[in-house]
Amino acid sequence: MEDFERQLRNALARKQEPPTFEAKVYAAVAAQRSGRGIFWRWATEGAAVVVIASGFWMGYQHENQQRAAGEAAKARLEVALRITVTELSKIQKTVRTSTEDE
Amino acid sequence: MTFAEVLRANQSMVFSLAFHFLRDPGAAEEVAQDVFLRLHQKFDELEGPRHATFWLRKATSRRAIDYVRKRGSRATIALDDIAEPSSAEQPGDPLLNRRLRQLIATLPEKPRMVMVLRYQEDLMPEEISEILEMPVRTVKSHLQRSLAMLREKIDRSLGDIR
Repeated sequence: MEDFERQLRNALARKQEPPTFEAKVYAAVAAQRSGRGIFWRWATEGAAVVVIASGFWMGYQHENQQRAAGEAAKARLEVALRITVTELSKIQKTVRTSTEDE
Repeated sequence: MTFAEVLRANQSMVFSLAFHFLRDPGAAEEVAQDVFLRLHQKFDELEGPRHATFWLRKATSRRAIDYVRKRGSRATIALDDIAEPSSAEQPGDPLLNRRLRQLIATLPEKPRMVMVLRYQEDLMPEEISEILEMPVRTVKSHLQRSLAMLREKIDRSLGDIR
């Protein structure tokens, strides 16, 4: 059995890796690094675009809200003026009627 | 411990494990490169040269078994056509060595990896059990059955020659 196991050790002795192996590993490591660099650059630029776009969107929303509030105030003022005009007309009519009676 | 030191000290071990398991020099190189690439990513987590060697043996075994499973029924190189990578020294009978390697290549995945770790790396069943995450009993059983099968086939081949 020991002889057979020795034969197996001989058969499975370590082999020499190809001469370019080490260089290929370093090239793969470098490619992975630059790949990761490209990913982070794209991720950073993407995040910047999202931040700028959401800034514009929030500004637009704020402007819309202000415009709507202004228009609501204008409408309220118009109603108030109309009521005032109506009331003044009534008062004027009353005054005129009482003057004519006298 | 630097990555370069670990690479230089273990590249022959990693390549040989993959080659003896896959019997395909191109596939073995691909697997070995992938293993070192992963080692580079995990390098900060390693605790020293012994841990690195253990990690490399484990990662190579797993990656080589995965490679065979993914390759599935795709055409494989005929065992006789394989160009043998060089080794520093080639003790024993070259024809017998070649025949033994061919027979080991016919074993199922797990017993084949057990045999490669045992006789290439000279590891004990307990160490193999840790690397392959299987009970020591199973490792010993794989070894016994594979040895019996190989002996029988080698004896039969020698009988045919006589």
